[in-house]
Amino acid sequence: MEMTDAATVSRARGGDSDAFRLLVEQHSRPIFRVAYRMTGNEHDADDVVQETFLRAYKQLDRFEERANFGTWLHRIAVNCALDLLRARGRLDRHYGGDPEEAEMTGAASSDPQQDRLLLSSELRQQVAAAMEQLSGNERTAFVLRHFEGMPVEEIGKTLGIQVNAAKHTIFRAVRKLRQSLEPFVRSSTCDI
Amino acid sequence: MRHLTEQELVLHHYHDDESPAIEEHLASCEVCRAEYNSIRRVLALVDEMPVPERGESYGSQVWSRLRWRLGSRNQRRTWVYGLAAAAVLAIAFFTGQWWQAQRATSAVTVAAGDSSAARPAGAPASTPGVQDRILFVVVTDHLDSSERMLSQVVNSDATRGLDLTSERDRAAALVASNRIYRLTATQHGDDRLAMVLSDLEPVLLEIAHSDGKLSPAEATSLQKRIDSKGLLFKVRVISAQTSGHQVPAAQKGTTTL
Repeated sequence: MEMTDAATVSRARGGDSDAFRLLVEQHSRPIFRVAYRMTGNEHDADDVVQETFLRAYKQLDRFEERANFGTWLHRIAVNCALDLLRARGRLDRHYGGDPEEAEMTGAASSDPQQDRLLLSSELRQQVAAAMEQLSGNERTAFVLRHFEGMPVEEIGKTLGIQVNAAKHTIFRAVRKLRQSLEPFVRSSTCDI
Repeated sequence: MRHLTEQELVLHHYHDDESPAIEEHLASCEVCRAEYNSIRRVLALVDEMPVPERGESYGSQVWSRLRWRLGSRNQRRTWVYGLAAAAVLAIAFFTGQWWQAQRATSAVTVAAGDSSAARPAGAPASTPGVQDRILFVVVTDHLDSSERMLSQVVNSDATRGLDLTSERDRAAALVASNRIYRLTATQHGDDRLAMVLSDLEPVLLEIAHSDGKLSPAEATSLQKRIDSKGLLFKVRVISAQTSGHQVPAAQKGTTTL
């Protein structure tokens, strides 16, 4: 996979637009996931994906062939998402808010299997709501550590804060999530 | 026995603190183990966070919107190389003109004999000619452009990071011309100008080689490097001197330019 990426990047560098198209097609979905987790908004995430590939295209000459293209692309996506969050001043925050789904969650059901699905759906809504309680830095640091597995040192660099501050930001995020979600964990331990 | 703090447990969960003492404590303390499991359950629940699905064709959709925004890499590269080549040619031309003028002045001086006794104290060794003034204009332009770039960096809010995407190509062209001016200044013994240009070069290089967007930490670091050398001030002073055509006294290190 990495060899394929390296060869494709090499061709794209030489001006082969078909090669760059292959990279876009291969990496768009994972980039969308990280963008969505960071922005919490589908349209913003789509914009971040576009911007990520645009920047990557302009910076292809700076990509070191020994590096992992996917990791490099993720780093660009994180920066794009951060720029967008800064530009928005975190005004547009709505995590996973599909009103129709929320409405369905409240509907009564007599089917145990359906109840279980609805409970699962409700839990996801609660998780989305809990994520919404996090500040921009907390959400970013948490997403990068929890979902992206980024080392704390790199998170610190990305956010422009010290390593200890990055650790503390992640800790604050986890504490807030616990406060919001612990009741649901207790009531549905068997579901997890 | 001291129980583990919530922060220690979170760090342990993410393998950011793998002290054996924590592992041993968890093995022996039921209270902390329960707390740790609670954290793990909450974080497992967070994995349920909904992410809208994007189908197999999503990549193609992204590409169809993106392709119109991409210029040709070859076109872009040609433009950058063209700009750099034009800059080098212009600099080479003016440097040659200036060098010719210096030789002509020296020849006149030699032919007229040693006239230093008749020259007022502190006056320049030679009066710059038209070609000199052309070079002054070119160097002044270079310093003004550099000053504007440094001002932009220094006056930006580093806590928000810094977008230098539009400056990288200009910085690359400035690096090319900066090298030639520095060499010329060194060859002609203008140590003061050479030193300022020497300090300027790594900063221009950093901007030219940046990936466009500097993180707040990177932006702060760049600002500190500019501040620590008093670079902006030096560039302003030397730019004012060259634009005012104040040729310094004829002493080592402050001759022409």
